[in-house]
Amino acid sequence: MTLNRNKLYSILFISCITGYIWLYFSLSNIENNREAFDVCLIKHITNIPCPSCGSTRSIVSLTNGNFNEALLINPVGLIVAAIMSLAPLWIFIDIVTRRKTLFDFFQKIETYLKRPQYSIPLILLVIINWIWNITKGL
Amino acid sequence: MDAQKVDMFIMSNAKFFESHQINVIRERLIALDDSKWAMISTVQLKDPTTSLIISILAGSLGIDRFMIGDTGIGVGKLLTCGGFGIWAIIDWFMIQGATREKNMQKLQQFLY
Repeated sequence: MTLNRNKLYSILFISCITGYIWLYFSLSNIENNREAFDVCLIKHITNIPCPSCGSTRSIVSLTNGNFNEALLINPVGLIVAAIMSLAPLWIFIDIVTRRKTLFDFFQKIETYLKRPQYSIPLILLVIINWIWNITKGL
Repeated sequence: MDAQKVDMFIMSNAKFFESHQINVIRERLIALDDSKWAMISTVQLKDPTTSLIISILAGSLGIDRFMIGDTGIGVGKLLTCGGFGIWAIIDWFMIQGATREKNMQKLQQFLY
């Protein structure tokens, strides 16, 4: 599977749509006071939260305007929220103007992330966030 | 290049590539100059079985994708708990093919 512009855009777009549907589903679940259910494989199997567990709760509290609470639940939620709100817009602009700025940006980020001086601190951050998640008991 | 050398390469590295690519690789290698042999024989190829094991054990963290060099997709899997767990399961079946494609890409820069 060689990634090209259209493939990347469809993957991103489908993930964003899924994300929005999932967000709507969780919001309506919370409104009706039903118990939210987890989709995370790791949490189901090992009962330990994964690094990105709680990002739904984080985005839900972000939609209620509680920025600090969102940050405290899981900072990953903020990144996901930023991607979910930016990506569809960027894809739309790219398709309308027939350019591939997002694809170029994606490839640039990929080459940066492959360098150890960027990847090692980021991996450490993810692990620290994971430990924090486990101690919070998400 | 010498046909015997090429056949040896194909025999020891066949599992790293898709079966439909093997013939093309063989033809290109035979047409290739002998001076490139040192580079071709030392190319670091990823084992599809290893990536399958990693995909099953740590697929929902995206580590399988990081390993084969799809960093962007790996980050996507990491941020979404392996795409709500669905993508992680799909990748159990996709990762071997993806690894072979990556190997082909790596070899291609020497072939052409």
